[in-house]
Amino acid sequence: MPEETILNDDFLRELMNVGEVDLLVGVPTYNDARTVGQVVQAIRTGLLKYFPRQRAAIINADGGSKDNTQELVRAASISDMHHADNLYALRTLHCISTRYTGTPSSGTALHTIMAASDLLRANACAVISPDSTSITPEWIQTLLQPVVNDVNDWVTPVYRRHKFEGLLIRNLLYPMNRAVYSSRVREPYPTDFAFSGRFASHVAGLDTWSEEAARVGAEMYLTIAAITGKFRIVQTYLGPKSRGEGAPADLVAAMRRSVGTLFWSLDSTFNIWSADLDPEPVVTIGPEHELDPEPLRFNRKRLHDMFARGVGELEPVLRSILSHSTLCQVQQVASSPEGELGYTDELWAHTVYEFAAAYHKSVISRDHIVQALAPLYRGRTYTFLAENRDNSPEALESNVEALCLAFERSKPYLLEMWNGRK
Amino acid sequence: MPLPQDALWYKDAVVYQVHVRAFYDSNADGRGDFRGLAQKLDYLQDLGINTIWLMPFFPSPLRDDGYDIADYHSVHPSYGVLEDFKAFLDGAHQRGIRVIIEMVLNHTSDQHPWFQESRSSHDNPKRDWYVWSDTDTRYRGTRIIFLDTELSNWAWDPVSKQYYWHRFFSHQPDLNYDNPAVRETMWGVMKFWLDMGVDGFRLDAVPYLVEREGTNCENLPETHVIIQDFRRRLDEEYPGRMLLAEANQWPADLRPYFGGGNEFHMAFHFPLMPRMFMGLKLEDRKPITEILQQTPAIPENCQWCLFLRNHDELTLEMVTDIERDYMYDEYAKDRSMRLNLGIRRRLAPLLDNDRRRIELMNGMLMSLPGTPIVYYGDEIGMGDNVNLGDRNGVRTPMQWDGGWNGGFSTADPESLYSPLMLNPVYGYQAVNVQSQKRFDHSLLSWMKRLIRIRKSLAVFGRGSIEFLYPANHRVLAYVRQYGKDAILVVNNLSSSAQAVELDLRHYKGNILIEMFGRNIFPRIGDLPYLLTLGPYQFYWFRLRKI
Repeated sequence: MPEETILNDDFLRELMNVGEVDLLVGVPTYNDARTVGQVVQAIRTGLLKYFPRQRAAIINADGGSKDNTQELVRAASISDMHHADNLYALRTLHCISTRYTGTPSSGTALHTIMAASDLLRANACAVISPDSTSITPEWIQTLLQPVVNDVNDWVTPVYRRHKFEGLLIRNLLYPMNRAVYSSRVREPYPTDFAFSGRFASHVAGLDTWSEEAARVGAEMYLTIAAITGKFRIVQTYLGPKSRGEGAPADLVAAMRRSVGTLFWSLDSTFNIWSADLDPEPVVTIGPEHELDPEPLRFNRKRLHDMFARGVGELEPVLRSILSHSTLCQVQQVASSPEGELGYTDELWAHTVYEFAAAYHKSVISRDHIVQALAPLYRGRTYTFLAENRDNSPEALESNVEALCLAFERSKPYLLEMWNGRK
Repeated sequence: MPLPQDALWYKDAVVYQVHVRAFYDSNADGRGDFRGLAQKLDYLQDLGINTIWLMPFFPSPLRDDGYDIADYHSVHPSYGVLEDFKAFLDGAHQRGIRVIIEMVLNHTSDQHPWFQESRSSHDNPKRDWYVWSDTDTRYRGTRIIFLDTELSNWAWDPVSKQYYWHRFFSHQPDLNYDNPAVRETMWGVMKFWLDMGVDGFRLDAVPYLVEREGTNCENLPETHVIIQDFRRRLDEEYPGRMLLAEANQWPADLRPYFGGGNEFHMAFHFPLMPRMFMGLKLEDRKPITEILQQTPAIPENCQWCLFLRNHDELTLEMVTDIERDYMYDEYAKDRSMRLNLGIRRRLAPLLDNDRRRIELMNGMLMSLPGTPIVYYGDEIGMGDNVNLGDRNGVRTPMQWDGGWNGGFSTADPESLYSPLMLNPVYGYQAVNVQSQKRFDHSLLSWMKRLIRIRKSLAVFGRGSIEFLYPANHRVLAYVRQYGKDAILVVNNLSSSAQAVELDLRHYKGNILIEMFGRNIFPRIGDLPYLLTLGPYQFYWFRLRKI
């Protein structure tokens, strides 16, 4: 019985033609014809402009697009017959595309890209989201240079964000990841990032790709793998990211991909995070965070209603997940009239940790646990928006820091919950 | 051996470029000479070349290695006398070897009697044989070629108190081709050597013959008129003789020098050469295919001249800034290797003395469309000495054996025109003809085989070319075709083994016969033809429908 492979024969043939490369840029896609052409052109310009001498390739792992996504990527190739319009290319630039098997998933796409990177022995590899339309050629330099020049292994982005974008990251992923793994990665769930060949080899060979949580939340999983594997991590400022880009319309799906994977990782990394970890500073190239003060419009009433209704409807489920004390506090918050709702940092940290512990113990279906967190997250979001409505970026950042400290202070509580003593 | 009478002989030529001074010294004065060169004709015949290109051997103060001619009708005393040249020429012809000599049309030495007369007074009859001016501001749009040494194309003559025009060194005043007497005189010079029996001229620096205000003074229409006139006379009076253009220009700018087949027979393809080195270092065929795509078609009776190295620096004038920087960084990290806009190194040191790369580059030289030129000493992998000034580091004595002065001369080593190569890698005791003759697998023996195979089929010199563009960019593959003969050439530019699939459906049914070992490879079918190649390996296949 032949061993299952992620690289089909046609793709393998294309990789043979590409040969060993210095740099590789991966683009995971699924029906992205609307934006992918622009993104790939910017990647190509970035490679030609900033890495003209290096051997490079652009690899598209596609989930079965029905539009002409794959053709748009392939069209960016530079060869004897195809030239770049405005920039001189010293070398051939292969832009190849493969359709991976199975349902579209970022995990399978990233696994394919990492396997290709490993096979082509790329020194540095970047992954760019196909809908990152605010990409400039400088992104390629900014992402790859820390790997090429400074031998870092995992490069995460820092964006200039609108004030109320990235709420899930600021209210949950960043604080919890920072508290649990002692690593201050601002975007632990990145859509644009880079990594070293060393890291790709390490990750491509892991067995965990077969697990659902690693597949659906691969970006989160990779950040955690970099942290727990003691790889050198750096953050780099990319500039603005277009409003709404990468923001999934479906909150529950987004939480499955990020929070679910973060919870899932805790099982296999318990020995690491349960130890008394020294805080790992993460170097940031450029500003560590930058906010556009102009707020986005949010329907806070709707958030409040969804929170209150969710807490009420899901009470039996929440009862199996949360401690009595936490549930009571959450219900009390949910019953507050709009305008007085205050989901405190401490309560939110405890809530999240109790969900993590429940996930670990599989008190109910793990997927239901993640789903049940969604309405509570809306309550927390309501509070965050209300608190920071008129805040300056600095004040908002100070509130994020306070939340992180609450998660850090509560880490022993997570351990107690984990070990079942509460 | 009578010379073949084919008028297109230059298409089948394998040219050996040699400097008389550097080849063999017959009279122990430390300099090579024509008698010495004649003694080595058997070696050249054995090597397999069928044409010799001689660098300037005329009387000269030798401030530019003989390109500063002081007398066009004689031989530099160091190299012998005219009779010695004639004897050498006869000896070459007897062995079926043709001889091309250098003809520097554009300028003379400032020691030439013509210039001495010209500068002697403003009303001297030869005053107008050179380009004089009261100011140094004319022809401002003209670039300076020798950037490392010259600040202007004008030089002040303190004798006649005017500026004179020079495109090269200031001791090389340009002749004035607007003067009919100059044109007539230079044709007379050419006739002198044609009557003696030379088979062709390499005309030096042809783009610069004429100057016009408001232009860059290169490739002007008036220059083409002059060339056409020389060619017409040549064809009428000396059919079968050949003109080779030295014009370091882009292919599109060079194309007019072929005219409608009524100017030059051959011209050097300058931009291809650096791109072959670039393609090898990049491990990517793109620079090579790209420049050949930009190369215009030339008349049926014309031919490109290809070379890897020559007596000059590896010129980087015909590359982009990005390419030039890359070439410098990869091939001339040591700044002393750089000269003007180029790299003053020989083939073997450029390729890190890597036998596989030397073979691959020679394989491409012999199989791409054009007439190949082998620079003396490169057939045995001679090294260079960048510590010698100007381009003298690539003009050191030929290394014949491991004995006294490398077998070049019996003079005292101190009296040689140039120091010998002495280092343990490239020195004459390590690299010499005698030791390489002893082994079938030496570079010299391999070069002999390569040249023999190249000469075995006219397709190499006369065939069309069709690039195959396999998806593996590290592999350069092409089919050459001439009449019923077809050969497939596959070059691996990479330092690692490569697999390549070639679309050969057009040649379905043919079998492949590898030309070095004459082994048969599988017949071409409907599927892509899969080949694997070792690092820097190349194949020449003959396609046979049997």
